[in-house]
Amino acid sequence: MIGGRVLVVDDTAFNRRLLVRLLTSIGHETLEAENGREALALLRDPAVAPVDVILLDIVMPEMDGYETLEALKTDPQLLDLPVIVITGVDELASVVRCIQMGAADYLPKTVDPEILRARIGASMSAKRLHDLERETLEQQRRLLATIDRQRSELARFLSPQVAALVSSDDGEAMLAGHRREITAMFCDLRNFTSFSETAEPEEVLGFLRAYHGVMGPLIVEHEGTLEHFAGDGFMTFFNDPVLQPDHATRAVGLAVAMRERFADLGAEWRKRGYVLEIGVGIATGYATLGRIGFEGRYDYGAVGHAIILAARLSGEAAAGEILIAPRTYAAAEDAIEVEPAGDRQLKGFSRPIPVYAVTAMRTREVAE
Amino acid sequence: MSDAVLDPAAFAHLLEITGDDLEFVDELVDTYFDDAVVQLTAMRQAADSGDAEALVRPAHSLKSSSANVGASTLSEACRSLEADGRTGVVPDFAGRVAGCELTFAAVRSALLTERAAR
Repeated sequence: MIGGRVLVVDDTAFNRRLLVRLLTSIGHETLEAENGREALALLRDPAVAPVDVILLDIVMPEMDGYETLEALKTDPQLLDLPVIVITGVDELASVVRCIQMGAADYLPKTVDPEILRARIGASMSAKRLHDLERETLEQQRRLLATIDRQRSELARFLSPQVAALVSSDDGEAMLAGHRREITAMFCDLRNFTSFSETAEPEEVLGFLRAYHGVMGPLIVEHEGTLEHFAGDGFMTFFNDPVLQPDHATRAVGLAVAMRERFADLGAEWRKRGYVLEIGVGIATGYATLGRIGFEGRYDYGAVGHAIILAARLSGEAAAGEILIAPRTYAAAEDAIEVEPAGDRQLKGFSRPIPVYAVTAMRTREVAE
Repeated sequence: MSDAVLDPAAFAHLLEITGDDLEFVDELVDTYFDDAVVQLTAMRQAADSGDAEALVRPAHSLKSSSANVGASTLSEACRSLEADGRTGVVPDFAGRVAGCELTFAAVRSALLTERAAR
């Protein structure tokens, strides 16, 4: 047992000296107080190092052992401190009362050093265990608070799905990379480049804020994973990291909702003389997903044929147009209304690809 | 005289638990003398004013420290005074306190004699 710090509270100098002597001889450090008031002042003094055990006399002037115990047990900072009551042989009734009030143990006034050693050792072990438990709980609480804070901070930078993924059990494996069929959607604005060149920078930023303010919630609402956004464009994909069997339909649904919501925003800006429209490209196919980037700056990203195709289709889309790839159409056929938009020769693709322009979502009644 | 006021076994115990450190025990005994004078003064004041309640604490204190040095007669006298003090009625208050003062004087000289004899 390593030596501890023991506070001896006794009004009689004789008893204090004897106990201090015995405690020192068995390797403890000691502090002394002549009564409960002095003891509490020492225990509450931030300049005084914490005590491990208190040896407390019962009959004392100013503040006796009972009052001291009461004060200790109602002080959240001190209530775990073990108190050993020091008593005379004829004070057993007082001992019972002290133990009921929370004292850990009792000792006779002229105590054998071996017994003193054993009792103090036992009380200190109990306290250290308790302190350890408290410390562990506190560490755990701090750790959980940190995780929680990180998660909510992450959620501000990442898609909620990605933020949740980082904190999940299979997060590491998912981040390391996996292949999955997804539907990717690219959206950007027609005429944005000329708008940003002619409008005042404040106007451009004001517009982008309004635009992101409208599009952001729609992405969240449709549970798309926002891979990135830059200026007027953003890329969202579906079916990863959370599986969505209807990913193609969801992507088209999001695009249609965006076009509808953008109509109001566009009309407002048209009054100010700026004609802005969204153009959307959607494609379905296998992609590799996971942590993409370099140390210090990673994104949860997707790489694959479908991503490039969606980007090309977005480039092809005229103002207000939602162009989808044949595979997306095949997957969402029952839920959407389209018009053929011709076979397009797209950069990087060897053969022309038949493209469809979405006109509307089918209402549920029609679909069934 | 010393046999009457001092219990050699208690004194031996004190020596034993301090690891036969006579020098320390002497210091402790001196501390006891100082303490005892303080407590006896308080007991005398309580007796003079007939304040039974004021007797309890000093009698209690002198009881335990006297027991520690082996002054069992004095300790017993104090125990009885403490007990009566708690009831509020102390028969022969002043006489018994005076008895304690006398016994203490005897204890003191016995302890000092023992020390001088070493």
